[in-house]
Amino acid sequence: MAIALAPKRRTDWIGLVFALALTIVILVPMLVVITWSFANVWRFPSVLPQQFGLKFWQMTLARSDVWSALSLSLTLSAVVTAISAAICLPAAYAFARMTFPGRDVLFFSFLAGQAFPKFGLLVAIAAIFLQLNLIATFWGVVLIQLVGTLLFMIWIPVAAFQSVDRRMEEAARDAGAGPLRVFWSITLPQAAPTIFSAVLLSFVGTFYETEGAWLIGAPQIRTMPVLMISFINNQPVIQYGAVLSVLLWIPSLIALVFTRRVVNSGSFARGFGG
Amino acid sequence: MTTRPPSGRAQSRGLIGLLLVAVPVGLFAWMTVWPIISGLVQAFTPTQPNGTRPFSPANFVEFFSDPYSLSNLGVTLWTCLVTLGLLLVICIPLALYLRFAQGRLAAYVQTMAMFPMFVPSIILAFAFIRVLGPNGTVDLLLNAVGLPKIRSPYLTPWGPVIGLVWDNIPLTVLILVSGLGAVSNQAVEAARDVGARPLTLFWYIVLPRIWTSVAVVISFTMLGLFSAFTLPYVLGPASPEMMGPFMQRTFGDLRDPEMALTQATVTMLFCIAFGIFYVRAVARNRGK
Repeated sequence: MAIALAPKRRTDWIGLVFALALTIVILVPMLVVITWSFANVWRFPSVLPQQFGLKFWQMTLARSDVWSALSLSLTLSAVVTAISAAICLPAAYAFARMTFPGRDVLFFSFLAGQAFPKFGLLVAIAAIFLQLNLIATFWGVVLIQLVGTLLFMIWIPVAAFQSVDRRMEEAARDAGAGPLRVFWSITLPQAAPTIFSAVLLSFVGTFYETEGAWLIGAPQIRTMPVLMISFINNQPVIQYGAVLSVLLWIPSLIALVFTRRVVNSGSFARGFGG
Repeated sequence: MTTRPPSGRAQSRGLIGLLLVAVPVGLFAWMTVWPIISGLVQAFTPTQPNGTRPFSPANFVEFFSDPYSLSNLGVTLWTCLVTLGLLLVICIPLALYLRFAQGRLAAYVQTMAMFPMFVPSIILAFAFIRVLGPNGTVDLLLNAVGLPKIRSPYLTPWGPVIGLVWDNIPLTVLILVSGLGAVSNQAVEAARDVGARPLTLFWYIVLPRIWTSVAVVISFTMLGLFSAFTLPYVLGPASPEMMGPFMQRTFGDLRDPEMALTQATVTMLFCIAFGIFYVRAVARNRGK
């Protein structure tokens, strides 16, 4: 989309306006947060902090609630992603490669969840969890976050398996390779990069999942985003929130680096109905 | 999806296929289809003092005759419409620019427009308060040049609007740019050659071709906005509150799951048309 084919000499005024406006509106707020996290002292009405330093990084990292939230969030994301991969990837392979009764109906049925406002659906799930005593438990949160990953973890890998070159598989089979060997040596390596993106997106998505964790997990299960909400609402020291924001952001930046290709491709927009 | 020719061992493979998809399909049925049905049934069968649950619309009568519930519904609708309007006003020009512009500047604009996708809502909420909140960056800068402070949108209905617009820019732009792929360069150049002004061009050439994308954006964002939770909860006023925080409070703080289910049902009914339209659009695109 942005390949310079024939550079025009005319100044791109509209582009400059957009670039400037977006920089101010999108980049500056993030820079403000980062600046706050490195401000030892920043009192009104100084435009810049009176004193920079790592004081609040040390203090935030010394808090036990931050560490327990971080380890809980990482555990939750790892467990949810692992279970999701274990149940969704075989299903994705089946949807992509096998014929069975009701395949298309079942494949598109995962979409039905998207037809409902998400929080309304979460409340309906929470009402069922209440009867099952799953409210405020680790596995309750795992279940609700697992459901959130299903669509991603099935649809993206299905596209990956469908785009594998079948002639190579047939050639391998002709050369005497068994089905498992073909899958392991031919199919999987070709589908792996896209599957990796799906797994990463599901890990990061789970890490930031706030609404389910808040509704189902409160008050016992305090993940990083839930802790962040309580910092925003109840923590008078601004820097704690700022440091936690920057910490909280790291997984997203990693995802940005690895999944930019997937996001910028047209198929991603089409996945949202674009 | 295209149907593949059945293989020789079609039947046994069919069974294996069903087994492989059984767990996620079962999980989905148990945690999406069942809660919706069960929630609907519970909302329509209020528990009586004697323990019975006859069919009755009493919960909905209560919801729609309670001024507080109605004002929450009102502020939710207001937020949705204002946010949607702002999103379209911002994102249609942005998408048009990205569709037709080339070069490094356009690449930068695209990167910036996609950036919010990688900023979790909760960090956005914190940044919002630091920039637009009381004594935030805007106040600091205004104060430095001797101007009065702003009336902060934090904890007013405009707080969630600003946050939600920011949050929704990337997907809106993506969907619109993808839709603008249907507008050919030739059509635009031909219209330009016969002297069409930019606005005429937009109205008669571009807009008719991207209606579907605009409709997808509208339904997709309405679904997301109507039950938005995090941003309204953190940035919005305590009263009236949007449906998301309202449901959470009814469920978690007031411990009244039946009324929370009634609110969830109302939310779902308001969104049903958008939901069906959105899902159909996605399915159609996927089927191609």
